[in-house]
Amino acid sequence: MKVTFKIWRQDKPQAKGAFKEYQVDELTEDMSFLEALDHLNERLVLRGEKVIAYEYDCREGICGQCGVFINGRAHGPHPNITTCQLHMRSFKDGDTIVVEPWRANAFPIVKDLIVDRSAFDRIIEQGAYISAKTGTAPEANAILIGKAIADRAMDAAACIGCGACVATCKNSSAALFTAAKINHLNSLPQGKPEAHQRVLDMTAQMEREGFGHCSFTGACEVECPAGISIANIAEMNARQGKAQLLG
Amino acid sequence: MKVNTLFFRKSIVAATGLFLCLFLIVHLSANCLLLLPEQAARGMYNAYSTWLRENPLIKVVAYALYLSIIVHVVYALLVTIRNRKAKPVSYAVNHTEANSSWASQNMGLIGLSILIFIVIHLANFWARIKLGLGADVGVDAAGNKDVYEVTYALFHNIYFVLFYSLLMIPLGLHLHHGLKSAFKTLGFYHKRGLEVLARISLIYAAVIAAGFGIIPFVVYFK
Ligand code: FES
Repeated sequence: MKVTFKIWRQDKPQAKGAFKEYQVDELTEDMSFLEALDHLNERLVLRGEKVIAYEYDCREGICGQCGVFINGRAHGPHPNITTCQLHMRSFKDGDTIVVEPWRANAFPIVKDLIVDRSAFDRIIEQGAYISAKTGTAPEANAILIGKAIADRAMDAAACIGCGACVATCKNSSAALFTAAKINHLNSLPQGKPEAHQRVLDMTAQMEREGFGHCSFTGACEVECPAGISIANIAEMNARQGKAQLLG
Repeated sequence: MKVNTLFFRKSIVAATGLFLCLFLIVHLSANCLLLLPEQAARGMYNAYSTWLRENPLIKVVAYALYLSIIVHVVYALLVTIRNRKAKPVSYAVNHTEANSSWASQNMGLIGLSILIFIVIHLANFWARIKLGLGADVGVDAAGNKDVYEVTYALFHNIYFVLFYSLLMIPLGLHLHHGLKSAFKTLGFYHKRGLEVLARISLIYAAVIAAGFGIIPFVVYFK
């Protein structure tokens, strides 16, 4: 299989980037999208050209490192998967595949397809943890949690922090990410003592990082590899209101 | 307590939007009088608008309404400015249609067309009837200002009929996305409730847009 990659190349953060086209052949449908990029990079090495910089770690949809914008969609043409879970069989022989880095003021480009997502880390640092030292894991039945609540917390905890929500959002809002982290902890008994402060601190950081407002286009929940529901954002809004009044 | 602009601004847009949604129901209900036969419509419509103008409570509501429109627009503008700054570079290719509705992606543009509509609408009615600008408004047999005549004359101009009807399309789109989003912005997150809310928003938007859209034609063919 043969495709043309149209890839964003940018040497360093301040440089002016541009798209560059690469014809790649000898691809197979079973290759993952990242393997196709690896394949292209091997050709570039042989030709003595600079390789394309892109991020990955687990290559199995867990770590959230691999996100890029592919043919106008975060993580490519399918909903709810990561870039590393995308395969070349999703494209046709002879296709042109446009690959761009996440675009957001809060995610500056480091090089080519790699962006700096440390804004997410700084939101986490504001309270996406329990501050008490708890020692080793306690006995599982020591704190009883109803199934419905456990499920909700688990669904929110599925967020892998890939940044697709921010990337696909026309406002570059980090609401889905932040909401997932807040709701995960605040719905559990362990998160309750610091619940209000957590909401206020994490959302304040989200504001400082220069993310936009959520206008509920719903694009984020479609592109989210973990399928985090947008209802989480509404829930965060309720928690924010409550914390603002009571906190 | 420091407010978070990300939440504060959207809450203001949502709250004013919901108030305007409520107003539209009252406005459309009253306009249904225009669907009655000529004689009855004129009498009742004029009597109703006289009652509106003279009711002190309505005066308060009217000021709340003007304020809501202005605040809704100003805050929506502030929201849009921050959003643009948050996404300074757009994608070369972006298939938003695959993950979101067109209306949700273009609320600002749609809102602008509604704002233009409101300005022209106010110039057509409010300015003449309340401010007394432009041609004099007559009185009907009962001695009420003949607001019906103003409407009747306006909607016998096919251009205005088309303008008033066609502009209800962006209004419908705006309301469909706006109503359900406003509730979510204000923290309504009940799972099944959100599904019901989505259906209510669709029905509400369709009824309001179709209702206001049909009336000019009904008056035109009277
Ligand atoms: S490389 Fe880990 S999620 Fe894709």
